[in-house]
Amino acid sequence: MLSKFYKVQPWLTLLSRLVLGGVLLAAGALKVGNPQKSAMAVRAYEVLPINIANFLGYVLPWMEVGVGTLLIIGVGVKISAAIGGFTMFVFIIAISQAWARGLSIDCGCFGGGGAVEPGETKYLSEILRDIGLTMLGIYLYRFPKGRFGLDK
Amino acid sequence: MSNSNNPDKGTRNLVIGMVAFIVLVGAVFSFISNKSSSTAKVPAAVSATDGYGIVLNANATPKIDVYVDYQCPICKNFEIINGGYLAEIAASGKAKIVYHPMTFIGAESILAANAAACAADEGKFLDMNIALFQNQSGTENSGLWTGDYMKRLGNSIGLKSAAFEKCVTDGTYVDWTKNVADASAKANVNGTPTVKVNGKDLDRNTEYMDPVKFKAALATGGVK
Repeated sequence: MLSKFYKVQPWLTLLSRLVLGGVLLAAGALKVGNPQKSAMAVRAYEVLPINIANFLGYVLPWMEVGVGTLLIIGVGVKISAAIGGFTMFVFIIAISQAWARGLSIDCGCFGGGGAVEPGETKYLSEILRDIGLTMLGIYLYRFPKGRFGLDK
Repeated sequence: MSNSNNPDKGTRNLVIGMVAFIVLVGAVFSFISNKSSSTAKVPAAVSATDGYGIVLNANATPKIDVYVDYQCPICKNFEIINGGYLAEIAASGKAKIVYHPMTFIGAESILAANAAACAADEGKFLDMNIALFQNQSGTENSGLWTGDYMKRLGNSIGLKSAAFEKCVTDGTYVDWTKNVADASAKANVNGTPTVKVNGKDLDRNTEYMDPVKFKAALATGGVK
C-alpha cells in the first residue's frame, strides 16, 4: 500500500503543482491588468483598513502570478506551496466572514469582485473550491518533490 | 536530493530571482499607474474636496454622491429607475449632487468618463450621462465606444462645439479619471452604482432599485 503511494506520489505532486499553480497564475493574470478593480474587490470584504486593502489589491495579483509560475515550473515548490496554500486559507476566512455578515460581494478571485446584487453571491462554491486548493497546498508542502520540477 | 555539483542550482536561483523581479516591478507599476495626480486637468465643475466628482448645485444641501461606471449594466438600470428623479433634484436645486464616473471596467469606461467631463464643461453633463447609459454596449469593452462614437453621441444631444470635439479627441480628462478612481477608493466605494447621502451609503438590499424607497431614502437624508 505504502510502496504504491511512493510510486504515484511524484505524479500527484506534479498534478497538484499544475492545478494550484495554474489556478493562481490564471487568477493573478486576469487581475494584473485592472488594479482598480482588484483593489475594489479587496475593499469589498470590509475587513482591512482602506489603505491596506488598496495596497493588497495592487500587490496580490502579482504575487499570485509569481507563486503560480514557480509552482508550474517546479521551483521552490515547498515555500511556494506554503504561500499559495496559506493565501487560499485566508480567502476561505475572508469569504466566510463576508457570508456570515450578510455582505453581497463577488469574491473577485478571477477578476471581477466588489459589491453585487443580493442573490448573486456564490459563497459556498467559492469556499469549497478554496478548501480543495488549500489541501493541494498542504500536500505540496509535505511532498514537494515530483515529476518535471526544476527543484532537485 | 540536492548536492553541491547540481548543475540545476544556478538555474533554479536564476528563475526565482527573475520571478521575484517581475512580481516586484509589476506591483510597483500597478501602484504608481493608479496614483492620482495633482497636475491632471479637471473639468470646471469638479471639486477636489468632493472626491474629484462633477458637482451640480455646489451650494445646496444635502449632498448626494453618485458613483457609476458607464459600462456597468446595473448602473444603467439604476439610471432608468432613478435618473429622472436625480435630474429633477438637479434642476430644482433641492440638493447638491456629485457624480463620480468610475473607470474600473476598462478602456471604454475611460472614454465615456472623459466625454461626460467634456460635456460638463459645456453645461450638458446630465444629458451626456443619460445618453451614455442609453447607448451602452451589451458587453464590456466591446469596441463600440470610440472617440468618434463619443463625438457623434455629443452631437446628438447638441454638443457641436469645436471645444467639445477637441476635448474628446485629446482625451483632455483621461488623467482626471484616475483621480476620481483614487478618491473613490479612499471613500471605500466597492461597487457601482453606489449612492451616498451626506456621506452615508444607501442600503444595497432595498434602496437602489425601488424608486419609492429611493425617494424615501433621499427624503430621510433631507431632500425635501
